[in-house]
Amino acid sequence: MLRVHGILGRADDPEVHAALHRLEHRDGIEYLFVPAHEAGRKRFRLTTDRGTDCAVSIDRDQALFDGAVLAMDDSRAIVARFGEQAVWRLIPRDTEAALQLGWHAGNLHWRGRFDGEVLEVLLDGDVDTYRARIANLIDQGLVRDA
Amino acid sequence: MTVQETISGTVPAARFGIGGPVGSGKTALVERLIPALTARGVDLAVITNDLVTIEDAERLRRSGLIDPDRVSAVEAGACPHTIIREDPTLNIEAADALERRFPGVELILLESGGDNLASTFSLDLTDFWIFVIDVSGGDDIPRKRGPGVLKSDVLVINKTDLAPHVGVDLARMEAEARAVRGGRPVLMTDCRHGEGIDALVELIETQVLFRK
Repeated sequence: MLRVHGILGRADDPEVHAALHRLEHRDGIEYLFVPAHEAGRKRFRLTTDRGTDCAVSIDRDQALFDGAVLAMDDSRAIVARFGEQAVWRLIPRDTEAALQLGWHAGNLHWRGRFDGEVLEVLLDGDVDTYRARIANLIDQGLVRDA
Repeated sequence: MTVQETISGTVPAARFGIGGPVGSGKTALVERLIPALTARGVDLAVITNDLVTIEDAERLRRSGLIDPDRVSAVEAGACPHTIIREDPTLNIEAADALERRFPGVELILLESGGDNLASTFSLDLTDFWIFVIDVSGGDDIPRKRGPGVLKSDVLVINKTDLAPHVGVDLARMEAEARAVRGGRPVLMTDCRHGEGIDALVELIETQVLFRK
């Protein structure tokens, strides 16, 4: 087990990027793929793409991000990578439908964001589980996939 | 800086959430976890959540299992999930205060007030959380697929000793729980007799405290 605490830097920071580039030539970069819905964790245990068992914690006021450098030395670096966030895009038929959709999304504690008239639901699980919760709105034609 | 030298300064205490319906045995589980973790040398503290009392905190303080000063109480005053998920500020403050008062504390157990199957913890509050149900609540609970059952890091099915007395097919209940959770951990416990506690402690040492 490799125990790491805190974030050393950003992979896209010029100085860090240069160091990573050097390590890349030595095949010394390991990626820790963090599922998007787990990215809010402050403490977790995952295995890198090279098989290193990592026990990671960060400070309470830190947030993990895609490209966070968690460990680095002369021979290797470990970089966090987020999986792609699954999104369900929904468009309401009209204002009334938008109100109903918004009410349901809030009541169900869905993580969401807006893209113009589209509600983007950030999925933490299978989309069918989400779809079942607003099946009545979909069946009535009040909401459809965007 | 080397890979091995990345830990510097004080590492925050791990925060471990315990949720579940009223009467499922959350406090009884805490009463089992305290001595089991203490015996393994874990420096711990506890936060209990109740609706409008500090009943559970008082129970633990009187138990003799832990220094009463290491038990903090939070009163929700509303649905328990509101202060473990929607706005966990009260609990975050309570945990921060325990860390200030007891430097070096490794683990803080946060017991939610009893809630329904939709109850979940915010990752801003806890690093890892379990959901405790019990056989007397009905063996159909797992297949009802509540968010607490599905999303928790570990599902605990407690009071296994009562299964024959309440007409529950324990094997089927466990199988259905494992099926709906897609391979994520399910543990069977009998807190009254201390069964299954070691497995949970082992998991805490491995996945939360990173001791193994």
